Amino acid sequence: MTGVRATEIMVAAASRELCDGEVVVVGIGLPLMACFLARRTHAPRLTSLSEIGVINMDPRDTPVGVADPRNFYRATCRSGFLDVMGLNLHHGNVDVGVLGALEADRFGNINTTLFRDEAGNIRYWNGSAGGNDTASLAKRVILIMRHDKRKLPKTLAHLTSPGFAEGRSRPQLGLRGGGPSRLITDKAVIAFDPQTHRATLVSVHPEVELGDIVASTGFELKIPSGLNVTALPTSEELRLLREEIDPSDLYLGNKEARS
Amino acid sequence: MANDANKVKTVAEVVQTIPDGAHIALGGFAINRCNIVVSHELIRQQKKDLTLSQGVVGLDTDLLVGAGLVKRCIMGGGSLDRFGPVHCINRARETQPGWSHDYSSLTICLKYLAGALGISFIPTKCLMSSEVLDRLEQFAPDDIKKMKCPFTGEEYLLLKALTPDICFVHVQVADREGNAQISGARWENEEQAKSGKRLVVVTEELVPTEYIQRNPERTIIPGHRVEAIIHQPFGAHPTACFDYYDYDADHLRLYVNHSKKKETFPDYVNKYILGTKDHWEYLDKVGGLKQMNEIRAEKLLGY
Repeated sequence: MTGVRATEIMVAAASRELCDGEVVVVGIGLPLMACFLARRTHAPRLTSLSEIGVINMDPRDTPVGVADPRNFYRATCRSGFLDVMGLNLHHGNVDVGVLGALEADRFGNINTTLFRDEAGNIRYWNGSAGGNDTASLAKRVILIMRHDKRKLPKTLAHLTSPGFAEGRSRPQLGLRGGGPSRLITDKAVIAFDPQTHRATLVSVHPEVELGDIVASTGFELKIPSGLNVTALPTSEELRLLREEIDPSDLYLGNKEARS
Repeated sequence: MANDANKVKTVAEVVQTIPDGAHIALGGFAINRCNIVVSHELIRQQKKDLTLSQGVVGLDTDLLVGAGLVKRCIMGGGSLDRFGPVHCINRARETQPGWSHDYSSLTICLKYLAGALGISFIPTKCLMSSEVLDRLEQFAPDDIKKMKCPFTGEEYLLLKALTPDICFVHVQVADREGNAQISGARWENEEQAKSGKRLVVVTEELVPTEYIQRNPERTIIPGHRVEAIIHQPFGAHPTACFDYYDYDADHLRLYVNHSKKKETFPDYVNKYILGTKDHWEYLDKVGGLKQMNEIRAEKLLGY
């Protein structure tokens, strides 16, 4: 299929990781797109939560961020942090967190706080917001981000939200949530080995070379034999994404694919 | 029963009572229901050495930091959504290590909740095994501790309560007693508003108590907790106020164009804040009635 964009492959791949009936805390951008796609296809009973205090957002117009009132329209519940992040997430009944990041390392630790610019200077970004809460507490976490050497480094510029820090298990880290299950980039789908917790390639997106993936990953990526090719979005998924979910290309048209 | 004192004040009157060095909590979130009226007046009166706390910092706090009024920021994160980062806050974080105490959305909310409950700390399972925690232990060692649960032995992080000197929250509707109703999501508004020593409500609309009594379950802040009410239509402009108006995308872009460089930020402050005597003059300067009508919410959508 020609003309399928990397963002669309990422969103469709993330959508397929979400199961019907699950409760999901979702960040803005491609994570939100994935959640909307899942609900319109195989997971109509997915419950989506936004940290600001919205449950089952179903916007008519694409929101520019978590704080956009477009997210409030048609929701089934409007509350606040304490309800969503406290009485749901901290309570332990959130199945999945879907997050974007500035950087991720081989153990699925993520950075949303700061980065080093090309001159080597520290530049601040957004900070944690609900990211650390979600990464600490959700039963599993799906990360969606652009794949390049600087964004997938050996060492993070800042560990905002823990995955399997230093390769340790979640109980060893004092964390209740299950940690990252998938890292979905514009080149590949990556999982974390159940024993070593190290990033392990699961599938490669169509027309992406394995050598390109290795060259654009800053950390050591485990490559098993018998690699799969990531399934392309179906024509119906593409239609939903382009006509209903993000018709103005606010997120899908973003070459940076930064969520 | 309602008392007789008229609590309705101007923002200038309220801000005059705030001493330099005060801890102020603002109720905005990124580009939604920010306390713009309050930030502008704090800048006009040049209040100094403020401590600012907020769950997800937004335009209200970025303005104060850019104007050089803030000596410490206690925050969970923040941006101006797709309009850009909070450039002024980020510059302060880049140049002054430890200037901001960075938490997460929930942990800031829990700190306010502890303050609101009148307890001195609250346990959580967030932030563990992160550099967010490492930095707090470095820069705010008196505000964060670890403890094993005396019942189960599980390890918890203890967050010290936040008790601001004065809290501001922007709401859609309030009466003269301060009974305040919020529509749309309300992030940590309730916990924050009730955590402080003083509470001031800024309202889009001032309504009779009889209107509040029609839907009292929507009252998030009961009047007896409120010291003063500031009535200011379009008081959160250029940020959004659900059911009343959308964010002003053009003005937010204009703001970010000024805020992204330290050198151009004073032009914004001089023109829109110091160059106006109050919020009515500010509204005239940013497009007046015609522009406010452009961003006015559609009844069905709320934006």
